[in-house]
Amino acid sequence: MLSNPFSAPRARHGRAPDVFRHGAWVSMREHRETDEVDFAIVGTGAGGGTLAALLAEQGFSVVAFDAGPYFRPLEDFASDESEQNKLYWTDRRVVDGANPIQMGGKNSGKAVGGSTVHYAMVSLRFRPEHFSARTSLGYGADWPISWQEMWHYYDLAEKQINISGPLTYPWGPKRPRYPYRAHELNGAGKLLAKGCEAIGINWTETPLATLSAPLSGPEGKSPPCAYRGFCRFGCTTNAKRSALTVWIPRALAAGAEIRDLAMVGRIETGPSGRATGVHYHREGEWHFQRAKNVVVAGYAIETPRLLLNSADQRYPDGLANSSGLVGKNLMTQSNQAVWGRMDEPVRWYKGPPSLAITEHWNYDDNKDFHGGYIWLGQGPLPNEWASIQTGARGLWGQKLRDAMLDYNYMIGVKMVGEMLPNEANRVTLSDDLDQYGLKVAKITYAWGDNDKALIAHALEQMGRSIEAIGAKGIFLQEDDTNHLGGTARMGSDRRTSVVDADCRSWDIPNLWICDGSVFPTVGGVNPALTTQTIALRTADRIGQLAAAGEL
Amino acid sequence: MATTRERLKASFLLGFRGEAPVARGGYETAPIPSKTEIVTAARRLNRAAGTIAASVLVDSAMEHYRGDFRNKAMWTPIVTSALSIGVSVHGHVDGRHGAHPLRDTVYVAAGLTGLVGTAFHIYNVTKKVGGFSWQNLFYSAPIGAPAAISLSGLMGFLGERVRDNKPGTRPMVAGLPAGRVVAALTGASLLGTTAEAGLLHFRGAFHNPAMLLPVTMPPAAAALLVYAAVGPAGVARPASRGWLAATAAMGIAGVALHAYGVSRNMGGWRNWRQNLFAGPPLPAPPSFTGLALAGLAALALLVDDKDD
Repeated sequence: MLSNPFSAPRARHGRAPDVFRHGAWVSMREHRETDEVDFAIVGTGAGGGTLAALLAEQGFSVVAFDAGPYFRPLEDFASDESEQNKLYWTDRRVVDGANPIQMGGKNSGKAVGGSTVHYAMVSLRFRPEHFSARTSLGYGADWPISWQEMWHYYDLAEKQINISGPLTYPWGPKRPRYPYRAHELNGAGKLLAKGCEAIGINWTETPLATLSAPLSGPEGKSPPCAYRGFCRFGCTTNAKRSALTVWIPRALAAGAEIRDLAMVGRIETGPSGRATGVHYHREGEWHFQRAKNVVVAGYAIETPRLLLNSADQRYPDGLANSSGLVGKNLMTQSNQAVWGRMDEPVRWYKGPPSLAITEHWNYDDNKDFHGGYIWLGQGPLPNEWASIQTGARGLWGQKLRDAMLDYNYMIGVKMVGEMLPNEANRVTLSDDLDQYGLKVAKITYAWGDNDKALIAHALEQMGRSIEAIGAKGIFLQEDDTNHLGGTARMGSDRRTSVVDADCRSWDIPNLWICDGSVFPTVGGVNPALTTQTIALRTADRIGQLAAAGEL
Repeated sequence: MATTRERLKASFLLGFRGEAPVARGGYETAPIPSKTEIVTAARRLNRAAGTIAASVLVDSAMEHYRGDFRNKAMWTPIVTSALSIGVSVHGHVDGRHGAHPLRDTVYVAAGLTGLVGTAFHIYNVTKKVGGFSWQNLFYSAPIGAPAAISLSGLMGFLGERVRDNKPGTRPMVAGLPAGRVVAALTGASLLGTTAEAGLLHFRGAFHNPAMLLPVTMPPAAAALLVYAAVGPAGVARPASRGWLAATAAMGIAGVALHAYGVSRNMGGWRNWRQNLFAGPPLPAPPSFTGLALAGLAALALLVDDKDD
């Protein structure tokens, strides 16, 4: 029987939804609030979900909180863009700055599984030099982890998530074969490929976290992708490899507890200065869960917000903020596009939207600006397409109706571009309160000159590529951004970073941050795989530190 | 006089070992005329050709239906394989010596169809963006598939050549001992079919260990056949016969395994209208059965080839 995932928590009474079977449950270990659990994890997405599984599998007691509901994809998801807005974090927020970030579906998720429930599954590795952007390429900041070490953890992440990707990847150092083969290209993917060949750059099939063959994994059985095309609005088949289908089932099987509809509002610290647990709101009241360690994994807006909202007498500027960098260096990624009309039908809505990619401009340094970018094939569904027509072209009325009739003939390519860190781009607290009575995040953002130069370069190159294959009526979508990062950056110096390479905060040794916030730079690729890779490494490090008695 | 239908029933019951029209299961059978070893071997090859053609008929009908018969040439394998089945049944019930011109014509046409089809499929692959790439080898027209109808034609054609030998003579094909020729060509055919299954199972990332069977058993069978082709004649080779029988059984079991594969797609068999096409092809594996039957025919010919 269907229940409303928003009306009451589903993960309780010793059981949690089995996402792989209609109406079924899996057993779940529960902890009392008075128990001091080893880890309280705030957030269950790419960072928190991954860590919940890997820490529980090492034998730690884990409670993972998520403010959002525990969806059953087979039952709760509709093939309807509007209905699926329920997956996003649409709580009150304040945005400002010269280029305010539009918050919602492209940079947030409010669900068990976080934004991986609706991500486009694009699973890319950073270019090796991007981990030492400052010393190797002269911009941004260095990561405290070598690319070789990241490469090792990328191997593990790709294997465990079971990525479907090309047999040979045209760029970067050698990597192992992806566990599953690449998907068949759709019309949009083939046209991206043609466009790249027309302007003389490489392309390949995009490594995607969706299955190209059935899988019987430790977490459950999934069918292969049915090419329904609603990936960014929640996969109804579980072919998508999200935290909800990969890590959360593993976490539960290993004894972790998930608390859905549980909004963590404050981290408590004790007389020693260490974190003692989290205050969270569930079923209409505030609770407190004791914990030996707290991991914050709420992504680049909610993570700094929680740290700042947890300010107390000892830490008046917020937790882990002796560097003053919590909330600063917010980065998004440029997500501009060029669109055009082909003479033949393309039907870009079929299959995952980003089946083909060129990463050429991440690896070619012959540019007069810093950073890199990729572009991907596109398949916006009708609502989104209409909003692009009204937003980027200003069409309305009959002109909009006429333009929408060309839907099946349209193609487009969209960039994911690196934006540089800048302390002025930041998350602070507004005086506005949300439904929990917590101060909401104020998000200030402006593009820098380098960001604008990179976008201009990308628009020019993307335009050339689709013009070369006969796209007509080409127009630009110049104002769009997506993924986030940077508001609790990792580093090797406590004065210039919030956490160390192990995602452990410099100030409070039992407070960890493990999500996209820790990225010192965002590279020129989608971040989900890197976030999960960081979580894999963090889990290993926590195990080593525990064994050495250094937790 | 037994009716054709009764003869058909009886002779299928004989299986590959059945030289004599003995009555089984209560069926009354009339003696099949000219029941020499040569005709027995030829009929085995007709059965092999028919089995492969049946696999091709259903497979190409499904896949080309999926491709909406966009090109009229996509009807060709359906017509050819249906004809190949027809003449194979004819050959199977025919107990006479001597090649039959109609059967020969159809088998040769089937062989040529496969060659032309392969060319079409290669063209289909190379015209796509990326050309001769894994993407297109996996998802464009399968390069190896049309060869199956050629193999049906080849097995049938070999059957006719074997049948063309005079009763009581040592069966020869193109001046060479028939058993050796059939064994060698069947071995090569098994390897080709393995390559096709291997490519598509690699596309499926060998996600189920059973997917390794058609890339391990048939090559071993091929090796046994090649060994038989060059080794001593007049030897019973029970292990080889057993391995080929197991390979034949694998082809049938493959249908069941593919049926399971269909069930692993979203909606399972309830969504059969979609998943029969999205999942692994049900009719493909019996190609191995057909070839294994031909291999058994070759081994039987070699056993009988006492003069070697």
